[in-house]
Amino acid sequence: MRRRVAPGDARGAPAEARHASDVLRVPVVDVGAPRDRARRETVRARGVIDPIAGLQYPGGVAGPRLVIVTGKGGVGKTTVAAAVAQAAVTARRRVLLVEVATPGRLASVLDVPPLNGEPRVVLDGLSAVALEESSALEELVHQLMPLRLLSRRLLSSDTFRIIAAAVPGIIETALLARIIAWLEEQDRRGRPRYDLIVLDSPASGHSVPLLATPRTLSGLATVGPLGTIVRKTQRWLADPAVTRALVVAIPEDWAVAEAVELYASLRDGLALPVARPVLNAVFPKRFSRGDEALLEEAESSHSIDPQLLEAGRYFIRRRAIAMEHGRALRSATRERPIELPFLFSSSMTWEDLAPLADALDPVLEVA
Amino acid sequence: MLDAVAAGLLGMVEDARVVVCLGPGGVGKTTSASAIAVAAAMGGRRVAVLTVDPAARLKDALELPDTPGELHRVPLPDSALGTLDAILLDAKGIFDELVRRLAPTQAVADRVLDNPVYRNVAGAFAGSDAYMALEQLLDIVQSAEFDLVVVDTPPASHALELFDAPERILALLDSRALEYLGEPMRILGGASSRLARGLLSAVLAGLERMTGLSLLSDISALATDFGAVVPGFRERARAIRALLRADDTRYVLLAAPDPHATRDLIAFAREVERAGVTLDAVVVNRVLRFTPEDQAAPASLAHGSAAPLGPSSGGAPRRRWSATLARHLVACAKDLDTLRAAQDAVIDGLRDGLLRAAEGDRSSPVWVELPALSPAPTSLDGIIALARALAGGRARSTSAA
Repeated sequence: MRRRVAPGDARGAPAEARHASDVLRVPVVDVGAPRDRARRETVRARGVIDPIAGLQYPGGVAGPRLVIVTGKGGVGKTTVAAAVAQAAVTARRRVLLVEVATPGRLASVLDVPPLNGEPRVVLDGLSAVALEESSALEELVHQLMPLRLLSRRLLSSDTFRIIAAAVPGIIETALLARIIAWLEEQDRRGRPRYDLIVLDSPASGHSVPLLATPRTLSGLATVGPLGTIVRKTQRWLADPAVTRALVVAIPEDWAVAEAVELYASLRDGLALPVARPVLNAVFPKRFSRGDEALLEEAESSHSIDPQLLEAGRYFIRRRAIAMEHGRALRSATRERPIELPFLFSSSMTWEDLAPLADALDPVLEVA
Repeated sequence: MLDAVAAGLLGMVEDARVVVCLGPGGVGKTTSASAIAVAAAMGGRRVAVLTVDPAARLKDALELPDTPGELHRVPLPDSALGTLDAILLDAKGIFDELVRRLAPTQAVADRVLDNPVYRNVAGAFAGSDAYMALEQLLDIVQSAEFDLVVVDTPPASHALELFDAPERILALLDSRALEYLGEPMRILGGASSRLARGLLSAVLAGLERMTGLSLLSDISALATDFGAVVPGFRERARAIRALLRADDTRYVLLAAPDPHATRDLIAFAREVERAGVTLDAVVVNRVLRFTPEDQAAPASLAHGSAAPLGPSSGGAPRRRWSATLARHLVACAKDLDTLRAAQDAVIDGLRDGLLRAAEGDRSSPVWVELPALSPAPTSLDGIIALARALAGGRARSTSAA
């Protein structure tokens, strides 16, 4: 089976063992898993041409390079983002997890010290970063204004904040430009530094404006450096070979309703490549119809421990509710949802995410 | 159930004039705010509830139309002794309304409202719905039509976003920023070179082309006109500040038993205390309960060693039971045990952290745990049921501590 390395382990290990060249020797993937092997072979055989940078990755990696995890607050976006990252790390991709919305949460899920604005290796193959609006904006302004002194002056004043607020989409452009810059970053051998970037995006109310910005702005006749940045961002985002938006729901009315709306606005409104919707926290199926009948019968003859009966019934009920929401999600999006199992674990560590990572494998497949 | 009211959340609400519901997204804040409002209205008070971003079904349940910024009477059952009005936050509208009210003349108001920069800025002014919610709250309170106003706040990761909102917007309006905006080149100061001025002009011109706005002239015009409205906003900011810190303004923190949110919530509660107000109640929402009495399962179950079937009073069905079915039942009981233990650990951590945050000579907040409602209330009856749960339900008062 596959072996996963916990970030906690990486943190606890001596400093020298955490160096990339050392940890790379850790056998993360056992090639024995047939499904993995098949997939990796396809991946190797193809060699991929990056549609924008025109790069040929040696022994390249196919599949999306940017997965954007969205959904209403409270559906487990950060957990799902971490699980997507784990699936990719397990398939030996170098991954960058980017947190935009809720500072602190990603570090908690990964069980690592607080993240900052510089990507940091948290375990073999996985880096993480907390992206801040202000520093992204600063960087964008530096790009737009080659003269440092001038851009610093401009940024240090309240005035700039008002101008920034007056220019719709400038903050969003800055955040996306930073992410695109990481996508384009290369290592010394000229390969992308990160095969995959997973964006734990803000709750749906904020992620639609975020993702709509380049499309809106690139529609305007734009010239100069800002126009170039906006158009490049939109090319990356709209490219089905690069981007995959992942809409997450849990089996509750409000979450599914929001996911359906979000899915439609991303796919139909913004024409972004979307993955199958994700239904998180689904109770497992443990009982057949026949079993349910048996439970009823046993209850009426008092031949069952009432605690066990109650536990069984609870599972049946929760499973039924989840299935109903799965059907609703499916009929509204016309896509079969990816179901993620409910995690009962008490600790919620990196290892506990393994079942989610397995279920999320399809997100990383070639479109 | 009524005897539990005094110990529960509603005792805290009873003599309040304003109840502010705080907390992160996805914890049922809007629903709980509505339930508190319904409960108070049922009990005889004239209540208004201000909601920020209700789910469609909650809107339906309150029969709230899509028009934000207007009060709508919620049709409560005949047994209600008071009244309930609901209003949807109108973040953009409330600001326009204030500009209209605070501008010295109609002409100034029209110029501000028509300014393209204002139109872009107003929705996102000072970056927060929080501020707009507070302005709207002040409006409702000042109308004196209600005994109690319940406010649902926008999800915030920092309490200061809410408590500092009036000060922040004042700082913006008051600062030299406005003077600068009247003459953008002053950003650069006196010593800047011609090159720098040229570059700044080029950047602003680029932004103008990009946005289709004549930024420079529009910003200057807005800055001039806004100067006239600032004193009015300053006065309101003071009123909001006083309202937030008033004795009869109560704070309810909504939370969910999410292990990854605990640290943030505790930090949030500390910020609230530092802002000079007390958390009066903590509602832990969406707690999974799976037996009616919520009794702890016997330890034997947790280890799966007990015979899954009870005494052999009914022999016939027993023969048809498969070993797999029995195993699955035990697995379910074990999983639920794990889940409950995990959840209890999270709630205990939250409790320790939050009650410690509330230490001092003030009494500790009322502590309420609510079961996950699946499905969430979609009708007024559902909200009334939730209101009852809030009133008595699983309330565990800690104010004796």
